[in-house]
Amino acid sequence: MALALTYGTSHTLVRMRLASLRHALKDSFRLTWIVTGGLVGLVLAGGTIWVAAKGDHDVLVVVLGVWMLGWVVGPLFAGGGDETLKPEYFTMLPLPPRTLSTGLLVAALAGVAPIISLIALLSLVISGGTVAAALVAVPALLLQLFCFILASRLAVAVYGVLLQVRAGAVIAALVNAFILAFTAQGWALIVAFVSTDVQGTMAKAARIAPSGWGFDAVQAAGRGDWLQVIGLLLALAVLAGAMLFAWSALLVRRTTASHANSKPRRLLTAKTPGGAAAAKEIRSWTRDLLYGHKAIFAIAYGLFFCMMPLAIGLKSMLPWAGPAAVVMAGSMSSNLYGADGTAFWTTLMTPGSARPDVRARQRAFLLVFGPSTLMITLLLTWWSGYHSAWPLVLSALPALLGGAAGLIVACSVYSAVPTTDAHKRSGNPLNSGENEGETMGLVYVMLVLVATTCAPALLVALNAGWWGVPVGLLSGVLCWWYFGRVAARRLDKRGPELLTLLRHGRSPAEQAKKTAGFDALPKWRRTLAGFCLGFGAIPLFPQAVVPAIFKLTGNHDTKSWFLALYQTGPWQWVVIVLMAALGLSMYAFGGLTYYRAKKRAPGGSVAAVAS
Amino acid sequence: MQQALELEGLTKVFGDQRAVDDLSLSVPAGSFFGVLGPNGAGKTTSLSMAVGLLRPDGGTARIFGADVWREPTKAKALVGVLPDGLGMPERLTGQEVLTYLGLLRGLPEDEVKRRTTELLEVLELDHEDDKQVIGYSTGMRKKLGLAIALLHAPRLLVLDEPFEAVDPVSAATIRTILHRFIAGGGSVVMSSHVMALVEQLCDRVAVVADGKVVAAGTVSEVQAGGSLEDAFVSLVGASTRGAEGLTWLSH
Repeated sequence: MALALTYGTSHTLVRMRLASLRHALKDSFRLTWIVTGGLVGLVLAGGTIWVAAKGDHDVLVVVLGVWMLGWVVGPLFAGGGDETLKPEYFTMLPLPPRTLSTGLLVAALAGVAPIISLIALLSLVISGGTVAAALVAVPALLLQLFCFILASRLAVAVYGVLLQVRAGAVIAALVNAFILAFTAQGWALIVAFVSTDVQGTMAKAARIAPSGWGFDAVQAAGRGDWLQVIGLLLALAVLAGAMLFAWSALLVRRTTASHANSKPRRLLTAKTPGGAAAAKEIRSWTRDLLYGHKAIFAIAYGLFFCMMPLAIGLKSMLPWAGPAAVVMAGSMSSNLYGADGTAFWTTLMTPGSARPDVRARQRAFLLVFGPSTLMITLLLTWWSGYHSAWPLVLSALPALLGGAAGLIVACSVYSAVPTTDAHKRSGNPLNSGENEGETMGLVYVMLVLVATTCAPALLVALNAGWWGVPVGLLSGVLCWWYFGRVAARRLDKRGPELLTLLRHGRSPAEQAKKTAGFDALPKWRRTLAGFCLGFGAIPLFPQAVVPAIFKLTGNHDTKSWFLALYQTGPWQWVVIVLMAALGLSMYAFGGLTYYRAKKRAPGGSVAAVAS
Repeated sequence: MQQALELEGLTKVFGDQRAVDDLSLSVPAGSFFGVLGPNGAGKTTSLSMAVGLLRPDGGTARIFGADVWREPTKAKALVGVLPDGLGMPERLTGQEVLTYLGLLRGLPEDEVKRRTTELLEVLELDHEDDKQVIGYSTGMRKKLGLAIALLHAPRLLVLDEPFEAVDPVSAATIRTILHRFIAGGGSVVMSSHVMALVEQLCDRVAVVADGKVVAAGTVSEVQAGGSLEDAFVSLVGASTRGAEGLTWLSH
């Protein structure tokens, strides 16, 4: 009976999921995301199989570990993982929790990501060598896939619990920042451990980790050690069962627990419209866990990013922790109006409040990130001992702070991404709506834009030393003033449209109108444009900007994966310039394709598509 | 007689659906005006366009003669709005929301304080002093919305479903407040689909269906001798289904 119910539930949930996937495929914007993600995944899966075919078992087991890690941390960056079917939708159904969670798990299998992981796990079959091992690989890889997906769901549930309390939000922010910084700067940590046979140690650890159990079972089958095969497969099954059990328990908690509120007590001291707007904004930063999470994440990211190279004794990046934090903070705050949702009507109905509202948001941003990043910059630059860095960072920091304060409001107004209103959100604090793709795109674009705001100051500082500081201050104030004014004017003029967008999202009809011109292009051009916008950052930043900074700050001992630094003499600059040109032209090509398409479409807007 | 609210030819098209189709309406100053209509008739869309929350595709809206879309600042100073289902500054307490919005409207500080305290007290939100809006119930959100609408002492109130999800005691309070507002020379436009309430409160009504006004006038004019409910059903043209079929519901 229970089995039949579970089967029936799973069947229906899978149908629901496939139905929404079908609708997603009709929406060209989401289709682009799914196809891009799918292609990248396929390449990685192909790589995994290739490693297995080469017979490099140490690497294979580490790669499998990375796949599992991807499932666990991925949701943190993709708005809480796939939430097509929210558990909240089904609370009122008379279903036992475990039936529901099993059903949701089965439904979770019906997607693009699980299929790609399944392809990657086919490497187990190849790595076996013998027929018996290949046969064992089939149940092993299925159990392994279940474990991947369950670990992912369980991780999301655990983050959800953590994020509801302040300390949890802080921990989650620190972990996220570390992981993201590691993807960029982890090489330093790895290099530091090379002398101690990292590869061997990592492979050993990866075999012990659950992600390696399926692989171990296949290897054991190859040796004919059947006891170990059975033991390992059982262990995988038990682990999957335990995670399913824990996840069900957390689901019950998520759908039944109330969201506790701390009791705020703060004196009302504002006296003017400007003061009122600022006080209102500051309270969001201190009370909303998501805001706090963002602030800590950005600052921690800057610190980790620039401190990881310390592992190999490299201090030259230390002075840049403050500026890096500002860039990250700016890009994470690029959807302020979207995040506040339809509460915007209170501003819209209050005559003359657009300007104070915009300025207040800028003021809050500067208050949260100004003093903190200044302190970090002063301390770390002093610690690094690179005296030549002083004029550079002190020019860049004010330029970036002002630039970010200006760009965040302009971006929040011009390309707001609607999210679910706070009071209608589900129990998953990472998931704020159904536009993760768009939000992520916005974050990337803003990373680039915010970073460019320090260019003038940095150029002057490089050529004329301390003269960069006044230039940085001036450009910061100008950006803050100008973009704030642009944003406030836009709010005054197009406020109702913004509210409509936040209230109803983009209707399929509008979406279609927006992409009509784009759809008319040949498919290869659309794909190429998407690819260019998605990956233009790679040649531009790690391959051009970062090595340029290394060269300018006189760091000659790190080469890592910076192509330019493997050249000699002036050729280094040639490679840097070429890479920068490649990145910029990729952006230009993608941007132009969208822009021209938009001009052909009736009344579309580029801003929304380009993100 | 001066018109508190005048809508002329308001039109809004979503995709191929004409949500509001050439809708015209005038609300005389001092009246308590009910906008009736079935779900999806275009009430919320019309009221949003009337106050400046949604830009119409065509037509005009004037509040005491001030064009909502040409002189928004002047019009918005005259009107207080309670929208349905929109968000609020979730991380503030009710007291903070009112204080800040009052200051943003340019009211002097002590006046804001006096009004805030009084509004919270009358609407019985004062004992929830420490609660952030995100923790409010639907009824409390409505009451806070009403307080926001009243805060700057507007001459016209536009309320979208003000009594939905409000308990009977609070509903009585709100009714009293609205009557006092009318007695003090104010005008009220309210949408609802609760006939009894409209019959009891309003002196004029308009029935909206498929984005058009199908009847408007004093309550007795629209009633045409029968009850408002009968008039409504015959105007909207819906059959009262539900008696036949559904045999499986019987035990």
